[in-house]
Parts: sequence; C-alpha cells; structure tokens
Amino acid sequence: MLALGATAGTQLQLDLGRLDHPAFSLENLRVELGEEGRASLVTAGRLSADGRVFDNVRLECARLHLAAGELDCRDGRLTVPGWGAPANIELRLNPARGSASIKLRGAELGAVSVDLTSPARATVSFTDLSLAAASAMLAPAAGDWGVSGRFNGRLVYRSDGARSDLSLTGKLQDGAFASADGLNAAEHVDLDIDVVAHAGARGQGWKWRAESAWTHGEAYLHPLYLTSGARLSASGLLTASRLDLDHASLSLAGVRAIEASGSLDLVRRHVLRGGLAVAEAELEQIGPRYILPLLAPERAASTSFSGKLSAGIMIDGGQISGLDLAFDRAGFSQTTSDLDFGPVDGTVAWRSDAVTTAALAIGAGRWQKLTLGAFAVNARLSGHSVDVDRIAIPVLDGKLVLTDLALRRDREGWSGSGAAVIEPISMRLLTTAVGLPPMSGVLAASMPGMRVRPGEVALDGALVISVFDGYLQATHLKVIEPLGVAARLYADVEARRIDLAQLTETFSFGSVSGFVDADVLGLELVRWRPVRFDARVLSSPGAYRRRISQRAVQNIGALGGPGAALALQRGFLQFFESFGYREIGLSCKLARGVCRMGGLQGDNETDTGRGFPIIQGGGIPALNVIGYNRRVDWEELLARLQRVIESNAAPVIQ
Amino acid sequence: MSMSTKSAVIAVLVGATWLTGCVTINIYFPAAAAEKAADRIIDEVWQLRDDASPINGAQKEGEAK
Amino acid sequence: MTILNTLRVAVGVLCLSLAGLAFAQGNLEINTPAISALQQAMQQRHAQLAPMYGSGAVGLARDGTVAVRDASSVPLAQRGQLNALIAAENADRAALYREIARANGHPEWEAEVRTTFAKRWVERAQSGWWVQGAGGWTRK
Repeated sequence: MLALGATAGTQLQLDLGRLDHPAFSLENLRVELGEEGRASLVTAGRLSADGRVFDNVRLECARLHLAAGELDCRDGRLTVPGWGAPANIELRLNPARGSASIKLRGAELGAVSVDLTSPARATVSFTDLSLAAASAMLAPAAGDWGVSGRFNGRLVYRSDGARSDLSLTGKLQDGAFASADGLNAAEHVDLDIDVVAHAGARGQGWKWRAESAWTHGEAYLHPLYLTSGARLSASGLLTASRLDLDHASLSLAGVRAIEASGSLDLVRRHVLRGGLAVAEAELEQIGPRYILPLLAPERAASTSFSGKLSAGIMIDGGQISGLDLAFDRAGFSQTTSDLDFGPVDGTVAWRSDAVTTAALAIGAGRWQKLTLGAFAVNARLSGHSVDVDRIAIPVLDGKLVLTDLALRRDREGWSGSGAAVIEPISMRLLTTAVGLPPMSGVLAASMPGMRVRPGEVALDGALVISVFDGYLQATHLKVIEPLGVAARLYADVEARRIDLAQLTETFSFGSVSGFVDADVLGLELVRWRPVRFDARVLSSPGAYRRRISQRAVQNIGALGGPGAALALQRGFLQFFESFGYREIGLSCKLARGVCRMGGLQGDNETDTGRGFPIIQGGGIPALNVIGYNRRVDWEELLARLQRVIESNAAPVIQ
Repeated sequence: MSMSTKSAVIAVLVGATWLTGCVTINIYFPAAAAEKAADRIIDEVWQLRDDASPINGAQKEGEAK
Repeated sequence: MTILNTLRVAVGVLCLSLAGLAFAQGNLEINTPAISALQQAMQQRHAQLAPMYGSGAVGLARDGTVAVRDASSVPLAQRGQLNALIAAENADRAALYREIARANGHPEWEAEVRTTFAKRWVERAQSGWWVQGAGGWTRK
C-alpha cells in the first residue's frame, strides 16, 4: 500500500512502487510534484484494469494535493499511449479507505465518471460515451468491427459481504457495427437496456433480470435482416461456465408472443437444453423475414405465405429434440413449381425419440393448371420416418389416392415405398382444365408399387386413359424431381384402337376415318415436353372404313410431310373430297431434338435416299403419301403442327 | 413414285442438310465438348454476344471444325 | 467429316449418317427444355447480379457457384435480397450442371460439368469482377 511522506513545498519526486485496488493496480508509480502542488505529474509504468494492461500512463495534474493519505488531482490530463488525444481527468484516491473518484472526459470519448465510495460500492456513469473511442481504448481488436454509437447510462455495484448487487441502466444511441465481409452489421441502432443482477457470497453466480427495447435502426445478421421494434424481457443465472435463461419473452412485429428458456454452455458455446415457443406468427410477415432466409433462401423470391403458425422447439445437447407446429389457416404458394396449398389447419408433432402424429387438413390446392380439392394428411412420425395410411387428394371429379406410404429421410432426401391409385377423372374436365381441346373418356391409374428415392418416384402398374374410343396405357412410370425446374417423366405408352375420326376432329386436322395403334417406348418428358421416345403408329387390325379427307392430306403436306415428301397426284385428285387408304404407318425416334422418321416398313436405317410410304392408298380414288426426309427437327415439326391446327386452313401446295 | 419439285421444296423447308460423320461412344468425360457447351451457355447468360441467338444457331456455328 | 476431339478416350466408334440439323457431333446436348428454362432464369437474374459482380459485393467462386465476397457496399435492407439472389443463382447453377449431365445420359458427369463451368465462369469473367482462385479472391 501507499506510504507517503510529508507534503513538499518544493520540487519533489516520490517512487511509490505499487498501488492496488480491487478494480485496478498501478505498478512503478512515480509522483513528481511542482511548486505548491502545481504542475504535478504522476506516471505509472503500468496500469492494469479489468485484465487489460497499459504501459507508460501519464497523469498531469494542474493542481495536486496529497494529504492524509488522499491524492487529489484537479484539472488533470491523462495520456495513455494508443488512446489518442489526452483526456481531461479529475481524480481523487484514498487507498486507505478504498475510495476513489475518477471523472474522465475526452473530446471524442465523452465522459465517464467512476465513484468508488468503498471497495463494496461503486457507481460508473456514462455520458455520451463514444463506443468507437471506448472500444479503441479498451479492445483495439474490436476496431475491425467498426463499432460506433453513444452510450448514456449508469452502472451501480454494491456489496455487503453476503450479497452483491449490480445494475446497469442505459441507452445506446446511433449504435453500429459491421464485419469486414458485411455479413453481420447494424446501423443507427437505439437500444434501451436495463439489467439488474445479484450474487450470493458463495460464488453461485449472478441471478439476473434484463429488459431491453430496440427502438430504432436496422441490422443484418446473416441471413436475417432485422429492424427495430423488438422488446426483450429475460431472467436467469450466470456462472463462469454457463448461462441459464429461466425465462425470456420477446415481442416482435407479426408474432403474438415468443417465449424461451434454456441453458447455454459458455465454454463449448452450445445450447445444453432449450425451449422456444412462438405463438401465432403471421406467416405473411414471418415467412419472408425468418423462415425463407433460414430454410430456403433460393426460393425467397418465389414463395409466399399466409395465415398463422404457432411453433414449439425443444433443444437437447445442441440438437433439436422436439418440434410442435400448429397451422391456422396457413397458405403456401410457390411460383417456380406452380404449386399452392391452403388453407392448411392442423398440427405436426415430432420427437427425436418417440412416435408422434401429424394431422393436417388442407382446404384446397393447385398444381399448375390442376385444382386440387380438400384433403387430410394423418401421418405417424418416428425419428426420420413418416408413415401415412391413406391420402386422398381430389383432382377434378376423381381422386389421387396414396396408400401405405412409408418414407424415410436421410441426408440425400426422401426414400421409401407406397401405392398410388387414380380414381377415374373425366377427360372432358381434365382436357378443359389443362387447356387442350375437349376430349371424352376417363383417366385412371393403379400403381401398386411406388418406390421413392431421393428426387425420384417410380411407379409399377399402369395409368390408363380411355379416349377416342380406344385407350392409352402408360407403364414403367418414373418421375424425377417432379416439382423441380428440370422435372422429368419417363414412361412406356401403348395406345390401342384410337379412333382417328375423333382425334382429327378434336384437333381440327381435317378428317381421317379409321383406327390406329401406337407404341411409344422410352418416352422421356422434361418439363412436360418430350425429349426422347421411340414411337410407332400403325393402322389397327380389323375391318373398318378407311378414308382420308382432302383437308387432312393438305394438312399433312403443310407439315412439310413427315419427312418431307408428299407425293400427291395433282390434277384430277384435287377434286375429290376424300380418298381411300389401306394402311397408315409412321414411326418417329426422337433424340437430341431430331425425329428420325419411318413409314409403314418401319425405320430402315440403311435406306437413305428413297422415300418411305406413310399412307398406302386403297379403294377409289387411292392416294399414297410418301415421306422422303427421315430426319426432322422436332421443334420445327411441333411448330408446324401448331400452325396447322391453329389456322385450320390448308396452305396452298404449289 | 419419284420425288417431285414440290416435295423437294418441302424438303428444303424442313431444312435437311445431310452430313456424314462419326459418333464416338464415350465412357470418359468429354472435357473439350463440355467446355464448348459451358461457353455457349455463358454467352447466353451473360449476353456476351450481340446476336444472342437460340442455342440451335449457336451449335451450328460452333460445330465446323 | 467432323473430326472429334482427340482428347477423348473412345472405347468404340460407330459411323452413322446424321443430320446436322439440331446438333453436331462432338457437342454436348444442351438443348433441352430444362436447360433452356434454367438458362433463361439465369439470364434474367444476371441483370441484378452484374452490378454486384462489378462492385465486388459478389464474386465467382471456385466451385462453380457465386458467393458473397464483401456485402458492405450493399444497403443493409438489401443484403437479405442479395443472399436470396445468390442462393437462387446457385440453385439454378446446380440444377444446370445436373441437367447437362443427365441430358447427355451420364448423370455421373455432374461433378465434372461443374468443374468445367467453374473454370469457364472464372476465365470469362469481365475485368473488374472478383474471382476466387486457389489463393483466395482476386480482381480481374
């Protein structure tokens, strides 16, 4: 401790060694006094405070009094290397009583006043304290974070041996910080802070209670953008290794209430256990602000929500151990996959170690041009598995029924099995809904073996469409990423006894009577457009009327011919309304945008120069249609077909 | 039946050009072709060419070697 | 006769007569509806990304994605949108690489397609844009 001799009237130098206080210590302390206590100088080789060390600290006092064990410095200037311009200081120390009073004021820093009435009572007041200057003084590393703002407030510490009390009340104004990469930053933040804490004598930690209100400003804490308006009220216990949150409630725009509790391991920096309850979050606000940035930022621009969500999250040992969700007229809309659901009502419960249930009622849905009716999902959840006995989704006048779904999620995605049935959907409604010319008939499917792998659904069984008096059957169906931008569908299609009269009438392609069978093997659709198949169309066996109208023939010609060459005997034939034929046969093998054509004899690859008959004439008058070009640009062919159907007028063939 | 003038016109309309070439069946990654494909897509996405033509045209151009 | 790239290791050669209509030999198939859709989406997004490349907020990463390099120049309120934009671009790029591999009948080529693209995005970046190399970010 300090030991002083008599006050000197003349220049005097004292080496005081060391001065210790619970809050700080000075080493190699030296006092130089001028005349009458004027122009005095105190230098400390080293000042240690709060774990930080400053060397070569200089204190110049315009007036210095040393009397009865008390040091009194008036109109002082404090110079600390690295702190910039010297700060004004008023200092009174009475080491014997353990009291100290320090008033520090800097042009940039603002003012800090420390009052230690005894080692057991301290008050620190901050007046317009600059966080930029303070952080540069106390934690130069924080300079990288560009901390700024002003703080006004008061910290009070009081201890009576058995109990210690601490309180901090204050207001941050225009606070800001920014990480170097800009991924964590805040600007113009006004924050009210009110913390009280007390500790017992036996070091069981601090019991604390805090209130805070964020009244102004904005922040980006990757990936969340936050704005002022939040209020936090919390209480708990703080020990050296652990922060217990007994209760916290956060009020946030768009949410009725948020409550949390938990324990944080401060050494390993993870949540030991925790619970978060969110009551009635307005999805329209919470979705784009929190849910999408956290869970699916890539869909942020294409997804919208409505309705309300309440949620409970449980955390154990750093892992989510339980989740409860309650939907209240929630709506979901995704424009990339063109999918809507809602209103959705119901609950989902999940526990990492128990079997739970999800019960959701979906009021309506839409996928692309198909409207889906109300349906329910009742599932059993267990770990990463989901089991559903039956989901029946109304589609127009039919239903898509999924049964015995057993799905499991791993790192790759979902896999599992189930069965699917499509209860008959009328083709008239379906074709109208998807914007095709109306067709009669029904679509139905029975696919008892459904296998799900990540991003892929394969279906054993058949999808059957009865249409144009015949039928179309699709087997070996496989769908890849059905809701993705590169949705793919594979199938083998077999069509039997399709009535050409109805087909050509439906698509306004003139008139052809008769029936055809078709086989489309290895059909591959990407975004519902064919990119690959091996197709063959042939007149159905049997006796029936086989005529083709002048219009239909001209339309075929307008297509550029399936292959190019249409050998139409002009002259007298153009006066006939229709022609007889014996057989129609056409094949197209599509790959890489090119359709390789063949006629009645099939796709004879060695045949390069000669034509291939597509329609073999018969009866009176007979007409043969022969194709020459075996390679046709598929997109061009579709465009021509589209034009023919749209114009419904035969271009003149010269 | 022989190919008539009109069918020849139609054939031209369809735009058939006959080429004879070789198709190589690869099991290894065609690095140079992939690079060409990447460049074509980058041209489109970054609009590096004034006549941002459809891929078809780009391929026809790029094919001569 | 089109001569194929000699770098390729071929296990078999099959000579066919083919039309040069929609594709030529030696090219990868990139003319599928999915690739066109992805390309179009990316082209539209590029209008928003280009200024970000120019300002250095976003750079072209080594793995064929785009990444935030320094968001400081972007107003706070728009950093969330920037993140969404980058996530959407990267999702489309991933889908593009996967789709090119698939369209050519070799889904296992995806990683190599990605590597090829990563190299070309970086090599063809405009001057002033930031690209990521083995040693970190550099300005072209």
